[in-house]
Amino acid sequence: MRELYSKTGEWLKGTGPESDIVISTRIRLARNLANFPFLNRGSEEQRKEIEKLIREKLKEAALTKDLHYIKLSEVSPVDRLFLMERRLISREHAGGDGERGVAFGRSETVSVMVNEEDHLRIQVIRSGFELREAWKIIDEIDNTLEEKLYYAFSPRFGYLTACPTNVGTGMRASVMMHLPALGLTHHIEKVFNAVGKLGLVVRGIYGEGTQAIGDLYQISNQFTLGKSETEIIEIVESVVPRIAGYERMARKALMTENREQLEDRVWRSYGMLKVARMLSSEETMQLLSQVRMGVNLGLINDISMETLNELFILTLPAHLQKQEGKELEANERNVIRAAYVRKRLGEFQ
Amino acid sequence: MKCESCNKRHATVHLTEISGNEKRERHLCEECAQNINNPLVKMPTPADILSSLINQVAPEIGEMAKTTCPACGLSYLEFRSKGRLGCPMDYTAFKKGLTPLLEKMHGASQHVGKVPSRAGKELIVKNEVLQLRRELDKAVEKEDYEKAAKLRDRIFELSTNNEEKKDEGTVQQDR
Repeated sequence: MRELYSKTGEWLKGTGPESDIVISTRIRLARNLANFPFLNRGSEEQRKEIEKLIREKLKEAALTKDLHYIKLSEVSPVDRLFLMERRLISREHAGGDGERGVAFGRSETVSVMVNEEDHLRIQVIRSGFELREAWKIIDEIDNTLEEKLYYAFSPRFGYLTACPTNVGTGMRASVMMHLPALGLTHHIEKVFNAVGKLGLVVRGIYGEGTQAIGDLYQISNQFTLGKSETEIIEIVESVVPRIAGYERMARKALMTENREQLEDRVWRSYGMLKVARMLSSEETMQLLSQVRMGVNLGLINDISMETLNELFILTLPAHLQKQEGKELEANERNVIRAAYVRKRLGEFQ
Repeated sequence: MKCESCNKRHATVHLTEISGNEKRERHLCEECAQNINNPLVKMPTPADILSSLINQVAPEIGEMAKTTCPACGLSYLEFRSKGRLGCPMDYTAFKKGLTPLLEKMHGASQHVGKVPSRAGKELIVKNEVLQLRRELDKAVEKEDYEKAAKLRDRIFELSTNNEEKKDEGTVQQDR
């Protein structure tokens, strides 16, 4: 795991279509084994048996050349938080207990959670707006695993899941968007309402029930039954560019009508990041969000999108602690975070 | 100073709450403060939404109340209170209760997406035909007759192939 600490996953490259506004695309599939109860009803023994079975089959299936498996029961809470910050596991998986694990490849595009709410949660993350590409990859992985594992499936209800909200395709297709101007102009609520009517939901960056910080939002499908995977992807695919267009319109309006205020806001944020001696994780995200918009608008030219995207993740609590090689109190973290950001952005002389 | 909420850790967060004319100071440790400050803790999860949904619409509950899954032993009532099913068999055991529930939740109760190859070629084709029919409806709606014609041909092709396969299957079985 050590080699993960100083780099980031491929989905943070800041490339791909619409990458000024769309950070990443993620698709996940929920799958269960036919011959076992769902995890909330299974015994500790069955849980262990499922974990072992899937772990072995994952190795056999060799999804990617360098698939790495981590038993979450054997790593520290900081390591679990670290994996969550990297979006390799969900918040529930980081916090849960019992025998469970995660497998992922070196590029961190593919990850498979074992014994989360369902026996298997397969996910693919890509940089930028690449739903079709992500679906192609995950569909193949699913096919490969299906040859090795006997999935619970019914012709009527599709892939069977512990929670009926996931049954059918078991698919959640989500797109992470950076929407600072819609936030500033107070149009974001309107977007959420409109999106809701189309059967989509908006979530925070770590999924269900998490807060939107740094103006980052995940747009995903709400329904999983009665629509095919392609249809679901089509819906998300048609809505996202419209939201991105709306965000661009809001940015343009700010640039023409409130240019001084906008520039002031962007530069103050940049300045703050370059001089602050203590930065909380949340404040860092908010400031980075403004700077990111500034770079997109051509107001700031001396920092790459990749560095900015990276800073969003590398300044999170577990990442900082891993880089320092020890556990840190919140105050210590804030000092180290500020120093790290100054180093990356070039200190004010 | 100890945290006034958990009384265990050192209080590092000091808050002043003002409600009306009253001012109140609170001294908390970071963990407790976070729990208080996080409004999302109160946001309903899909499970909460589901259980409230379940409680609202329960016309079949009387009939289903005594049903228990023979495989995992979960009762229908337990499912309704927790919002989680116990095993894949529950979908069969609770079908009568689940179907209207899924209709409310997803606006549908018939799967039309991917089918595992294990489930058999016939089902895969059936689902594809189902899928193409929906696309055909959409194309007709949009008056895209060229696309509609292509879809119609494909549906015809798939349905006849499937019929032939079925016949072959029966013939082989008869032998």
